[in-house]
Amino acid sequence: MATMAEERVSTQVGKVQVYRGGSGTAGAPIVYLHSAQGETPGLAVLEQLADSHEVVAPLFPGFGESEGIEQIDDMEDAVFHLLDVFDVLGLDAPAVVGLSLGGWMAAEIATRYPERVSSLVLVNPAGLYIPGQEIKEIFGRPLDELARDLFADEQHPVAQLMTSLSTATTADPGDLPFELLRPVFQSLAATAKLAWDPYLHNPKLARRLYRVTAPTLVVHGTRDGLIPRAHAEAYAAGITGARLVDVEGAAHMLPLEQPDELARLVGEHIA
Amino acid sequence: MRIFSFHLMPYPALPSEYDGPAWVTCPNELYDPTVGTQIYNRYLDELVYADELGFDGVCVNEHHQNAYGLMPSPNLMGSILARQTKRAKIAIVGNALPLYDPPTRVAEEFALIDNISGGRLIAGFVVGGGPEYYSFSMNPAHARERFAEAHDIIMKAWTEPGPFEFIGKHYKLRYVNTWPRPVQQPHPEVWIPGAGSLETMDFVAQHRYAYMGIPYFHMSVFDRTFRMFREACERAGYEYDPLQAGWLTPIYVAETDEEARRQYEEHFFYFVKRLLPGINISPPGYTSIRSIENILKGAKTFALNLETWDEVVEGGYAIVGSPQTVTEKLTEYLRRLGTGNLLGLFQLGTLPADLTRRNLELFATEVMPALRAEFPEGKPVLGNQAAVA
Repeated sequence: MATMAEERVSTQVGKVQVYRGGSGTAGAPIVYLHSAQGETPGLAVLEQLADSHEVVAPLFPGFGESEGIEQIDDMEDAVFHLLDVFDVLGLDAPAVVGLSLGGWMAAEIATRYPERVSSLVLVNPAGLYIPGQEIKEIFGRPLDELARDLFADEQHPVAQLMTSLSTATTADPGDLPFELLRPVFQSLAATAKLAWDPYLHNPKLARRLYRVTAPTLVVHGTRDGLIPRAHAEAYAAGITGARLVDVEGAAHMLPLEQPDELARLVGEHIA
Repeated sequence: MRIFSFHLMPYPALPSEYDGPAWVTCPNELYDPTVGTQIYNRYLDELVYADELGFDGVCVNEHHQNAYGLMPSPNLMGSILARQTKRAKIAIVGNALPLYDPPTRVAEEFALIDNISGGRLIAGFVVGGGPEYYSFSMNPAHARERFAEAHDIIMKAWTEPGPFEFIGKHYKLRYVNTWPRPVQQPHPEVWIPGAGSLETMDFVAQHRYAYMGIPYFHMSVFDRTFRMFREACERAGYEYDPLQAGWLTPIYVAETDEEARRQYEEHFFYFVKRLLPGINISPPGYTSIRSIENILKGAKTFALNLETWDEVVEGGYAIVGSPQTVTEKLTEYLRRLGTGNLLGLFQLGTLPADLTRRNLELFATEVMPALRAEFPEGKPVLGNQAAVA
């Protein structure tokens, strides 16, 4: 598999981390937008995609060492920041793949600036409100409980890490090296800025979906404990020509659980 | 030394089979209005009684959608107290500023209470507890910014002639011109409670307000908190005045140490085990990363983790005993902490009316005079131990 190298890119709000790899031989570059988990570093599916495509994965401000979250207050600011990232990296109209919060960001870019997205893949996307099909709470829940909603396989190393962090913080958070907790607090705070109220959605997004021109694939993990399938269905229904694919055996963190399958689906979709 | 009687107005009748949190999601079906009618009037009587007994002030506070403290509007309580008390300061500690939109409402209501009471209001400003950001669906990541902006609006409304325009990031008010204006000029005394956030301490120090240490931690946490606050005053370029700091603690006095524990223990543990669960939820972005690091250091000593009475006594979580014991302990701790305001919780959890009244009486007649003699008003109380704590 191709490797992803980390670099720092200057944007209007500050320097952000970007992981890049692969070459541009097979069509448009792929931009990957991560979820509230900030899963980008070391993500296997990106390395697989980089075998045949140029892959660019920025870390959003507030995640990792990316700066500038204090200058971002809402999704509109987030969209402008991501456009800056596109511009700085010379990405005119990449294929955009986003997971959950990142899927929501991708949909916001594609509705507002359809010409900047040549192809769209929304994986367990947030962003919509569907009465009776609410997205489960992510803020303030014990990490072990959250891990069970995020992963189909409780033995997944990240699920295990969340569970042990939860146990340790219940015992005495003061005993843990703070460096272990810092990224969790930082990324949740950044997510809250975009997604606390309204909770993980933009009430105007659903009626703007008709603006999307990119060929769109919506991917739903059948065991997603966080976002009901109705959200994937609503995206697929709202975006002209969109396809909905179910991935068995995957929960919310589908790219971590089924990297081969996601790489295959993305590769086929953008080919 | 100024001595205040602080009331949380807790819900004392959670059914024994309910073992969930007392906050945010605690089902309001558990609230019985017949209990409410009785306790609200009783609790107000207890504050009025404190005024009659010679306390320097009474304190109420604001919490929402919970069983821990039944005052969603402390200003309603404050306005009743403004009429029913005669002499005591009325400390509203405080209004959760980000929850008032526009925040000129706080300037108006506080000024109103200051007017009715003839200038007895102490104006408390708080960010609001973590649970309130769930209960109001208000973005915790904006809490500090909104608090700072609301504070500026209120202080400007009180001290500068209106009308004026205030265009901030969160509030855009074209005509600020609040009536009534406060009786106390240039403005009522300002108190700000804090749980150890460095930003709050610096803010209080820079404005020369008073910092109230939030209770339910081991005494060692208070040592650190008030030392940090003194340092914040030094950073702001002046020497700390003890009247700028307040220590809030549960107090219970009975004839003997044994009787005090026997009468108090179960009520204290109802408070700890039934009313505290859920209070310590800290939503994302509510506290800065460096303050979280500081607050986590004391997290294990939070009263919620208490299991035995010995731990309560050793950690100074409540000051309980005979008049002599309580006097000695309070004297020792007040010297150690160097705080010029003592905020006592004389009713806690399920502590019934008769024991609460007796507690207030014994404290006022046997403990208060000794404390006043030990710490004359206006004289620094910071003991030698504070320097080495």
